[in-house]
Amino acid sequence: MFYEPDIAVIGGGPAGLMAAVTAAETGATILLLERDGHLGGQLVKQTHKFFGSEKQHASVRGIEIADILSEKLAGLSDRAQVWTGATAIGLYEDGVLTIEHQGRYKKVKPKKIIAATGASEKYLSFPNNDLPGIYGAGAVQTMMNVHGVKPGKRVLMIGAGNIGLIVSYQLLQAGVEVAAIAEGLPTIGGYMVHASKIRRAGVPILTSHTIVRADGTDAVESAVIAKVDPFWNVIAGTEQTIPCDVICIAVGLSPLAELLWQAGCDMLYVKELGGHVPVRNEYLETTVPGLYIAGDLTGIEEASAAMVEGHLAGLEAAASLGFMTESHQEERQDCLEQLRQLRAGPVGEKIRQGVKLTLNQESSREVNHAV
Amino acid sequence: MLYETGIVTDDLLESVLPSPGRRARGPYAIIECFQEIPCNPCTISCPFGAILPMGDINDLPELVPDLCTGCGICAGVCPGLAIFIVDESIGDGRAAISIPYEFVPLPAKGDTVSAVDRAGNHVTDATVTRVSGVKKKGTPLVTLSVPLDLVHQIRFFQQDKQLAVSQPLMTSEKEREDKQSLSEATLICRCEGITIGDVRKLVEEGYTTVDEIKRISRAGMGPCQARTCGPLIADLIARITGVPVEDVEPSAHRPPVKPLPISFFMEEESDVLT
Amino acid sequence: MAESQFHLRIESHPILDFGDREPLTFTFDGQAMTGREGDTIASALHANGIKVLGYHFKTGRPRGYYCAIGNCSSCLMIVDGKANVRTCTELLRAGMVVETQTDRGMPDVL
Repeated sequence: MFYEPDIAVIGGGPAGLMAAVTAAETGATILLLERDGHLGGQLVKQTHKFFGSEKQHASVRGIEIADILSEKLAGLSDRAQVWTGATAIGLYEDGVLTIEHQGRYKKVKPKKIIAATGASEKYLSFPNNDLPGIYGAGAVQTMMNVHGVKPGKRVLMIGAGNIGLIVSYQLLQAGVEVAAIAEGLPTIGGYMVHASKIRRAGVPILTSHTIVRADGTDAVESAVIAKVDPFWNVIAGTEQTIPCDVICIAVGLSPLAELLWQAGCDMLYVKELGGHVPVRNEYLETTVPGLYIAGDLTGIEEASAAMVEGHLAGLEAAASLGFMTESHQEERQDCLEQLRQLRAGPVGEKIRQGVKLTLNQESSREVNHAV
Repeated sequence: MLYETGIVTDDLLESVLPSPGRRARGPYAIIECFQEIPCNPCTISCPFGAILPMGDINDLPELVPDLCTGCGICAGVCPGLAIFIVDESIGDGRAAISIPYEFVPLPAKGDTVSAVDRAGNHVTDATVTRVSGVKKKGTPLVTLSVPLDLVHQIRFFQQDKQLAVSQPLMTSEKEREDKQSLSEATLICRCEGITIGDVRKLVEEGYTTVDEIKRISRAGMGPCQARTCGPLIADLIARITGVPVEDVEPSAHRPPVKPLPISFFMEEESDVLT
Repeated sequence: MAESQFHLRIESHPILDFGDREPLTFTFDGQAMTGREGDTIASALHANGIKVLGYHFKTGRPRGYYCAIGNCSSCLMIVDGKANVRTCTELLRAGMVVETQTDRGMPDVL
């Protein structure tokens, strides 16, 4: 009775797009679900050139990568169906996937599922943290780079990870002043090359600084920041008031794993990966057979790694249904090798540690709370 | 220092400067990339083999100054905008520096701009002598004529001079308010209007799982379905009880993942074929 | 209003081209406003200088846009009489009647 595509891919960002393209190329029928009105996920806001190597489109801007992958998928439309405006709202233990598709309730029962749901932004608690003018970094990017609207005139950025640094740079490009970047840690978390290009444009990066509170009546008018000691305690007397009409929160992401909890996957809290992630094997299959994962859902990482994971999950899900190309072994090894390389350096250390934990299915930290 | 401020220090710069003889001979690339990150477009871009191939994609790029012609191709592809082209062979006490520039408007040849250092502070006025790569895929490069002795201080420029002057960004202020009561009143669940103080009181009464807090206070039951507050509540429970956050029992997740009107479920299409 | 709108629209950008997008008129609490094709309700309001989208039903505190991807539900408003519309993801259409929401909103099947 149910519509039964070979593979349903949940999420049309870098991981989901790669998974759908890869699996469709092997001959499998695909249903790709994207909650937004268009494909690309966060790529559509990434105006900067990507790092990595040619295989992950290095030196190409994120917005262009979204187009490249969407076009590839469109070329496979005889096998790959795309539903935009489609949110996967429930994943049941019998494999039924319920969907809100442009206001209508739909149920499908795919043979395999690749979840590439991405992440949600972490929030920060400080007094008046709910004032209008306090926006997540993703929201600021959406407003600027999708809608062409400046979030305000003067921004205080909270967080000097790659997102905080990149969004600060994008604000400058849009003609918005960035008053400062405050980072609670003693060192900058993002890439130094991003930090340097913002610093030379005149934006101070204040490490060991936190936001104490926001002030304003109906919207943000200023913020108070202060130095913190290594235990994040505010050092009295170091408070400074920064006049600003926007406070942008870029303090990290958490994997968006609600559907995986519902499906009954074994989940594990891995700090290095941003929160609870599904336990999986090397080929990205979770503890629920036939349910694969890719992208930020597996742990927060760069989009280049998300694309490789999407490729790998697409290959594996298709192969498990018999859609196996001659070069399957080679392609799979190539994906694993690309991931190894992307994570090999010092900046990949946390990811390496985190991934190791998720592969250890005997871990004592394993938790699973069935519905 | 670099990791605290984002400013490349003199010793790091020194480590990538070619020999004085090579510097006097003609333009060369200076690669200010001092952190091992997975990135290699520069090595592949160089048509002269002047940037050595990387054994590992995380390796730092290594320039062979004698093979470098200062053509600027690498500077146009570097995603980190970390490569500059310096020419110290001009004479008359002048030098040229080409800077990747991704802002609008692009300056025009002949414009006077404020040349700034790695912290954005004004160093000297400079004349734009060339703007290249505008129509190509690479990042545009803007070449400035600057005094020879300042060329390695200068790494950016501002067209609006006001932006180049370091201004005090903030005013100091003594905190007078009662910080404790302010932070207790901080909202943790925006949807339901639940504060840190509300949650703390419940934890102290013995409710120590996210679900218990949710059922009693409604924190996490609003329209965002705990996507915003869930991790914060788990962290707060961990901090108050001293239990590691990974051991705080998370809330159960049930369909649907977002609130939908009742009418939505009344129009079910159970056997959709397309 | 016209002045703030031009102020917050990005007119030139080194990488993106927002082109000439069709203007769309709508009302916010009875006041006529103009957005552009491709705007969400919230981005159009923001371009018009409107940051307060509602007031919390319990605390009465002002609510604004926060996540912009339909997660946080901080941007719920009444649109064409229907409450709890996520204005950060709902696309603007000409003639929409947008109102500030100050309560939980009435169920739509009553």
